[in-house]
Amino acid sequence: MPMSIDKPSTALTSRQQVAVVVLAAALVGAVLAPSVYAATNEPSDTVAVVEVEGPVNTALADDVESELADIRANDSVGAVVLKLDTPGGAPVASERMYKAVQRTSQDMTVIASVQSISASGGYYAMAPADEIYVLPTSTVGSIGLNAPAPRTASTPLGPSGPDKAGSNPTQTWAQQQTLADTFVDAMMAERGDEFEMPREEVAKADVYLGTKAVQNGYADEIGSLNEAVHAAATAENLGEYTVDTRETGGISGLPFLVRTDTQVVAIHANNPGYADVEPMGMTYVHWPAVPHVDTIERFSETNLRTGGATQTDSSTSNATGRLAGGVGA
Amino acid sequence: MSRLPTLAAAFVVTLAVVTGGAAVTGYVTADGAAPAPAIQNDHYQNPDLIANDTPGQATVEMDATARSQTVLVDPGVEPTSPGGAFPLPLIGLGGGGVADRDIRPLANALIENGHEVGVYVPDPNQRRPPTRPGADPPTQLGERLAEADAFVTFRTDYEPDELDAIESFVDSGGHVVLATEPDAAYSEPGAASLDATLDVTTEPGYVYNMAENDLNYQRVYAEATREMALTEGVDRAVFPSATPVGTTATGADVLRPIAGSELSTTRAPTEAPLLVRNDGVVAIGDSDFLSPDNARRADNDALIGNLADFLVTNDRTPPGPGGASGPTQPPQPGQPPANGTAG
Repeated sequence: MPMSIDKPSTALTSRQQVAVVVLAAALVGAVLAPSVYAATNEPSDTVAVVEVEGPVNTALADDVESELADIRANDSVGAVVLKLDTPGGAPVASERMYKAVQRTSQDMTVIASVQSISASGGYYAMAPADEIYVLPTSTVGSIGLNAPAPRTASTPLGPSGPDKAGSNPTQTWAQQQTLADTFVDAMMAERGDEFEMPREEVAKADVYLGTKAVQNGYADEIGSLNEAVHAAATAENLGEYTVDTRETGGISGLPFLVRTDTQVVAIHANNPGYADVEPMGMTYVHWPAVPHVDTIERFSETNLRTGGATQTDSSTSNATGRLAGGVGA
Repeated sequence: MSRLPTLAAAFVVTLAVVTGGAAVTGYVTADGAAPAPAIQNDHYQNPDLIANDTPGQATVEMDATARSQTVLVDPGVEPTSPGGAFPLPLIGLGGGGVADRDIRPLANALIENGHEVGVYVPDPNQRRPPTRPGADPPTQLGERLAEADAFVTFRTDYEPDELDAIESFVDSGGHVVLATEPDAAYSEPGAASLDATLDVTTEPGYVYNMAENDLNYQRVYAEATREMALTEGVDRAVFPSATPVGTTATGADVLRPIAGSELSTTRAPTEAPLLVRNDGVVAIGDSDFLSPDNARRADNDALIGNLADFLVTNDRTPPGPGGASGPTQPPQPGQPPANGTAG
């Protein structure tokens, strides 16, 4: 039985060869599979909806910047819709979002979808979008700066230079004008061709309802978020697409905005201490959209009264208490 | 023994395929950000964008050669609580009226030229008891006006008997400068009774200019309607938060807002004057233009000097308390005429 002795040896070699080939093919296949899967699965089939909601501040700008950077790097996202609901806020945060949206709109279709309001810094942020969708009663506009009139304060002794802790009213006026012009110029650069009005009229910082905004060039289309998403998908020929909503800002990151007689104040807590109250001297915010502190005091006065609290009128702690109660309510 | 090279080759090939495949896959599915394209935002780099923040210079000079006159200033400061030792608003604290520093350029010019400047702040401790008709003692203001040759006021809410004192002051040749403001609601700046006493009018709303202004749309430029003493050297004046003023007299317009100015209430172009003169009364639709900061803007310093000239160039000879002080301009040989016409 010499053959039976040799046979196993020959068969084993053959099987080994087959096994090697199969193993190699499997390995190659395993390597190629993701690419093949991705190729047949359409890489750009997602419309990302990025929320820009609440007061414009650093936390919101951080999130929007990071989401948009992620989207630009992600091949599966084919278009972006910004879901806006903001009265504006800090100038630098507005500019950061503006730049991020501008960069994204160079890569893919970006459509802004305004919910109830996108004014001032919110308008700044969405201006580079390819199209702005509004609802008939949305509010857009307020292209300008909010700031109190510069006041002459007594110069403290000690700082190393005259502008370290003090300022000249004229210098402050000039700075405010520059900040306002920066905003208006950027909006003229982005949408100057759309605006049906001269720069001076834009700089009046009026707000417009959606119905008027589509006529005067502050917006392009009347439409809901869904319609904006569909328009973005259609513009990028996505066919069947999925919607990926990116939340921003975070619950804790967004402050309450209130205004006093002269300026806007951000409050970062329900029951704020001094560290949670941040005065915002110059803001890109739609002033009437920010509740006045008197209103809050009035609300909380009722609360204090029903709560049976008795406090003197002039104490500082009372004012803080009113503020806290009002914000909490 | 011939299988060893085959197996070795198979091992090498498989390893190469796996590692090479991983490399290719990693490259193909790389999720890194593409190099960001440079975005040119030229609108951020326009040199014209930076507003000029040079505060400017002010030289308030007077031409009038009148002898020492007494100018009473009512800064519109409300008296503090009875017994309050010091009117806080005068040093810039609290609301209402103008602060001491705000009238300094005008006051300094008057003082430097040898005139007296008095500030009238009602004293709550000297408030008169309710009076019977026909037995009115002079008001606090009336007592001060009796000693004055000219009157500058930033207040509009006067009592009827104070208005009487102002009216007789004007009738006796005293010069009055009324600096009024758009009110907080921008609905009606002045008080009608004072306006009627001085024969001037004020309009609701403030004047603004979006196209050409002094660092803010509400800081409007005004220019002279024609050559006159009040506008000498004044090519343009800056009025922060100005309201239109008028008067019954013809040809009384002195300064009008420049072209492109609009009124807040109508949002329509306005040419309504911001400074008018009706004989011995000058009404100005702004009270901030003579503060030290604003005196340095445009030709406000020249305007303030002209107003100082107007104040001291009056036809009034105050009787003084009990007539004791006598006329301020006794005829003296060699002296220039004290009272000319201020144009």
